[in-house]
Amino acid sequence: MKKIDQTVVKETIYVAVWVLILSALMVAVFLLLGKWDLSVLWGSLYGSFAAILNFFLLGIGVQIAVAKEDPAEAKKVIRTSHSLRFLLLMILVVVGVVVPWFHSVASVVPLLFPRIGLFFRPRFGGMDEEGGA
Amino acid sequence: MLELAVGIILGCCALGAGICMGIGAIGPGIGEGHAVANACEAIGRQPESKSAVTSTMIMGCAVAETTGIYSLVIAILLIFVAPITMVNMLKSLL
Repeated sequence: MKKIDQTVVKETIYVAVWVLILSALMVAVFLLLGKWDLSVLWGSLYGSFAAILNFFLLGIGVQIAVAKEDPAEAKKVIRTSHSLRFLLLMILVVVGVVVPWFHSVASVVPLLFPRIGLFFRPRFGGMDEEGGA
Repeated sequence: MLELAVGIILGCCALGAGICMGIGAIGPGIGEGHAVANACEAIGRQPESKSAVTSTMIMGCAVAETTGIYSLVIAILLIFVAPITMVNMLKSLL
């Protein structure tokens, strides 16, 4: 089995921290609105898990793709990775919406949190001038 | 008549969800493919920049993929939320 690149681990940890912080905020908003129950907590945990897993698998896909010598082959690898991850995400989202243990909104919204984390990446992530971490 | 209207609503929702997912997933797939192919070439030219390029690539791919996730969320809403809401609206109107 191939070793996981330290860059992938670092980026995943960064995104995971953001996702968990924003999920906690979302749960707090549910609490303030008076719509909190246990399904919101389980839903937010489930959605956070799906978002972090998707990002981690994306990192693995990129790691495998950039290791290829041929750009056409790298393109094929990342497209396959994209299709499979999308399929996985679709299944996870449908489970999150259908299963009554998970609040449907609380399990779908965390999927958008990695984007917010990446928006603040240049400010909090310690990137250098060239864009690397 | 009501059955026909409900059928049209359900059909349109399913069609909309399918179109949304199809179009929404094409863009990120093409974008990620181009970006990674160019990253590959860049690493081939400058192997010492692999870590920085990989880091930037992961972020770029994640940003590109957001549109796909948006379309997924819209499709889920169209399948699970919109039909119930619209059928209830229709029933209250009739």
